[in-house]
Amino acid sequence: MVHPRWGAVLALAVAFSGTAFSASAQTKSSLTVALAAESTTMDPAKYSAGVDQYYIGTMFEQLVRPGPDGERMNWLAESWEVLEVDGKPVIDVKIRPGVTFHNGDPLTAADFEFAYERLRDPAVSRWPHYQANVAQFEIVDDLHFKLHFTQGDANYVANWLQLWAIPKAYFEEVGEDEFAQRPIGTGPWKFVSRSVKEELVLDRYEAYWNEEHHPTVDRLIVKIIPEDLTRVAAFRTGDVDWIDSVPPAMIEEVEALDNVATASRVSGNNLFFDMDMTPEDSPFRKLEVRQAVAYGADIDAIIEQVLFGQGQRYVQVGPGETAYDPELKPYPYDPAKAMQLLADAGYPNGFETNCYNLITPREPNIKEMGEAFFAYLSAIGIRCNMKNLEYGAWINVNRRAEDTPQMEGGILSHMWGHGVPGDPGTAWSGHLHSFVPGEGWGSYSHTAGHPEMDEMVEAVNTIMDPDEREAALKEIARKKHELVLGGLTTYRPLVTFAWRADKVEYTPWPHPGFWRNFQEIGLKQD
Amino acid sequence: MAVEADLAPADTAAPRPRRRWRLPSAGVPWFSGLILLLLVVCAIGGDALTPWNPAALDLRANFQPPVWAEGGSWAHPLGTDNLGRDILSRIVAGARVSLVVSLWAIVLSGGIGSLAGMVAGYFGGWADVLIMRLVDIQMSIPPLALALILAAVLEPGLETVVIVIVVTYWTWYARIVRGEILSLKERDYVALAKVAGVGSATIFHRHLAPNILNTMLVLATLQIGQVIIFEASLSFLGLGIQSPAISWGLMLADARAYLTNAWWAITMPGVAIMLVCLSSNLFGDWLRDVLDPRRKQL
Amino acid sequence: MLGYFARRLLQGFMSIVGASIVIFTITRLTGDPVVLMLPPEAPPDVIDALRIKLGLDLPLWRQYLIFAGDALQGDFGRSYRWEMPALDLVLDRLPATILLSAVALAFSMAVAIPFGVLSAVNRGGWVDRFGKVFAMAGQAMPNFWVGLLLILIFAIHLDWLPAYGAGTPAHVVMPAIALGWYPVAAQTRIVRSAMLDVLDSDYIRMGRSVGTPEFSLVWKYALRNAAIPLITMLGVYFAAMLGGSFVVEVVFAWPGLGRTVVEALFARDFPVVQAGVLFAAAMFVVANLLVDLSYGIVDPRIRHGR
Repeated sequence: MVHPRWGAVLALAVAFSGTAFSASAQTKSSLTVALAAESTTMDPAKYSAGVDQYYIGTMFEQLVRPGPDGERMNWLAESWEVLEVDGKPVIDVKIRPGVTFHNGDPLTAADFEFAYERLRDPAVSRWPHYQANVAQFEIVDDLHFKLHFTQGDANYVANWLQLWAIPKAYFEEVGEDEFAQRPIGTGPWKFVSRSVKEELVLDRYEAYWNEEHHPTVDRLIVKIIPEDLTRVAAFRTGDVDWIDSVPPAMIEEVEALDNVATASRVSGNNLFFDMDMTPEDSPFRKLEVRQAVAYGADIDAIIEQVLFGQGQRYVQVGPGETAYDPELKPYPYDPAKAMQLLADAGYPNGFETNCYNLITPREPNIKEMGEAFFAYLSAIGIRCNMKNLEYGAWINVNRRAEDTPQMEGGILSHMWGHGVPGDPGTAWSGHLHSFVPGEGWGSYSHTAGHPEMDEMVEAVNTIMDPDEREAALKEIARKKHELVLGGLTTYRPLVTFAWRADKVEYTPWPHPGFWRNFQEIGLKQD
Repeated sequence: MAVEADLAPADTAAPRPRRRWRLPSAGVPWFSGLILLLLVVCAIGGDALTPWNPAALDLRANFQPPVWAEGGSWAHPLGTDNLGRDILSRIVAGARVSLVVSLWAIVLSGGIGSLAGMVAGYFGGWADVLIMRLVDIQMSIPPLALALILAAVLEPGLETVVIVIVVTYWTWYARIVRGEILSLKERDYVALAKVAGVGSATIFHRHLAPNILNTMLVLATLQIGQVIIFEASLSFLGLGIQSPAISWGLMLADARAYLTNAWWAITMPGVAIMLVCLSSNLFGDWLRDVLDPRRKQL
Repeated sequence: MLGYFARRLLQGFMSIVGASIVIFTITRLTGDPVVLMLPPEAPPDVIDALRIKLGLDLPLWRQYLIFAGDALQGDFGRSYRWEMPALDLVLDRLPATILLSAVALAFSMAVAIPFGVLSAVNRGGWVDRFGKVFAMAGQAMPNFWVGLLLILIFAIHLDWLPAYGAGTPAHVVMPAIALGWYPVAAQTRIVRSAMLDVLDSDYIRMGRSVGTPEFSLVWKYALRNAAIPLITMLGVYFAAMLGGSFVVEVVFAWPGLGRTVVEALFARDFPVVQAGVLFAAAMFVVANLLVDLSYGIVDPRIRHGR
């Protein structure tokens, strides 16, 4: 009964279903992995979020990086140090000899100069403000360069010296568009092909410089499967050998599969609940009220029941991050004390307030987590008028600028990536320091302006010496915790990877772009 | 969401289905009427009827199965969800959102749409062209796509859901009422009245309004089910009703991630939706036959 | 005749232009994409630079004219998020959505035609009743819930079919049922009523009187005529499914147009939202146009009726 024309469409469509997803030919040894999220760009100068580094991190490398134990290790830099010349800081870098790009060109200081030029160009980069304190890039010789600063800039050090090795000669030969389509770096993996929203195919770089840490499989196929259940299903049927972001509710199920290994690691994100102190009459201007919030919710129960244990409770700074302080203990769950504090603050019957709940697929169960938290608050008398915000709307409410709508007081579910392993300096400049229009301070801040705290945050941003910096950050953390300023820190989400233990040899490596750069992965040898 | 496709056969172009196709059972209006009545009772009674506070979390009592399943208990007859909330209580509480959204959406879309349809049909000319062009434009945009964008523009919530449904459904009424008016205008007694110099208002009041009213009543009853499904779809995508408000679509959205953990959380609210929609469709069909015996005889 | 065609074509074009204005305007009201694209601590001058680069600093009407001018030349702008032409993203996903809609339509007709015929022939019989219940059920359930139940039963409990994604013919079965069940009721009604008309007609009565077997009378001669109204509506059903597959695609992780538009909407990726929705709108207008034109050819009275 089908009309001939529709018959043709059907036939076409069936043909499509047969071909589009058939696996690519596998002549060499290969592994297939599945990620939940996809990078939007493969050009290191254009990255805007951690997710972009999933792809960039496989093909490109930086001067320093975190090693498997989370400690900073020199990578493309053979050595580096911070000097002082005429009272101004200088970062002096010696490049590792013998490193080559995937086209065989040797890595030189000119490539880093080129990377620096692109990173500071607002037409290319989304981080030109990070280069604002660099006065000059000086090439000493092919393997030696110096960065001259106008003033101390801790971000440069905290963010792994920022610069990615980009092949200047190749880039200038092919142009920006072609480079973004067919990138070339020094990393363990070289680009083969990419299909947006589907897959990235990589081959092992035979002439990779690091003989100790490198992948052993010939080809890596990175599939993009955003839906949790689909990703797990693909892993279960054996279509993929490795997956990231096993959904919390399914971890038990996945762990129970035969020959499956899993690893859980902090994802690099930091969750907290911020309290808007900016309105004159905000109850959160009172320390007792902020403390009541801190005592009022059973965070451990939320982690256990809502997140299925997939969260690491932290106070200001998590273990493994710069300035982690084991002395700081979380506020215990104590609803009676919370109610007492509210009464002391002059709210014996509690009060009503807006509660903004962030919803984003990037963080598993974040919506339910917020709901549970706000339900606890309602129980102690902080009656939540809850509003769910998807990420775009959340940014609009949260971001401090003259021309965006502001939150009208209240409590806000909040998150801020510190990287892995992280440094809280940038995050605190954004949400602990009070908002200063036009200067970048407190772009997401809801504190009422605490001059002493502001001064401490500003100071720590110029300290480049690691030990001095750590001490200063710790001091901020203690004070922040005591005063419950810049939000109540709750947990750091864990991300769980699963792989076929009988087939895959895998060592998780942390990375500034979190975890997914496959520094060491291969087929299991019998 | 094939709203328009379902309507299309009733358009002027297609032959009207002449013989009604109904369940030949006398119990149908009773059954469907009873379900709709239950919906109203739940919506009005609200919290007073629910065994538990529908918003109360009990994290330690999550994922309890319904009473007839292994491990279930009468404490939570339909089980609990991922946050330990009582599903029965939430379904009862969700009835209010369903009814409120339906009523507002029906009154507004029916009112606006019918008015537009009457103006277009009765006066014709430029008004007709303008209104029908608007209808065409509106109908060409996939309703759910339009709804999603609108919901992203406005703050998600009950009001937005109503607005989005009204924007989508007014064309329904406009097209059908216009068609009805056009056919009524051709009837001899209306034409005669016109010739006799009876004013528009009187013609409208005496001859057109009673006929239109029946059509609107039937459309409105049929619309209840569609509105509930539409609301559920929007809420399911995260752009409809927002917690802590409770809606059946939202319950389905929340339960989706726990499909393998708790089948009851995804099943129960859907059954509620199905029963109400089925009742609305059956009742609407029955009403059409009762109000228009002429068609029934054909 | 030509005048009617020209008028309908012009109307169709105006609908698409009108739809594009509506879509363009409301898409731009959903929020500022620029802050979503930048790191949280980006200073105002960096934000402004990006806004200017994307042309978002211009007045809305100028933005629209630029968009419309480019769109007429087949350029729907570059995706903010994916740094590739928005149209390519949409066209990449279109085959999957067409496949899903086509199979869903085939499913609904495969159910509706036999039910419609049998219930017309045996009015009030058990097939009539069962068909009615089946069709009504389809109309009473949200398609995404049908999808979830199918997953629960056939993927999780019975493990017969893949739960999500695309790739093999088995993948399309459940999404197609979820999407195709809803219009079954309306389609069965059309077939049934058309069958009743045809079975009453003189020429079937004549066939009966000359002793043509009842089976071939019904399934060959009557159905051939009764199917015409359904087939002329196919285009409209198909277009409605393309636009209605949004939620089903989300439920089944189907790599289609709907899911792409939903994702783009959340990312405020305006060019992709515009291209995707406008594409669906254009398909709907064209389908309706074809239906109207075919009626115009079949039944000349329509031309004067408008």
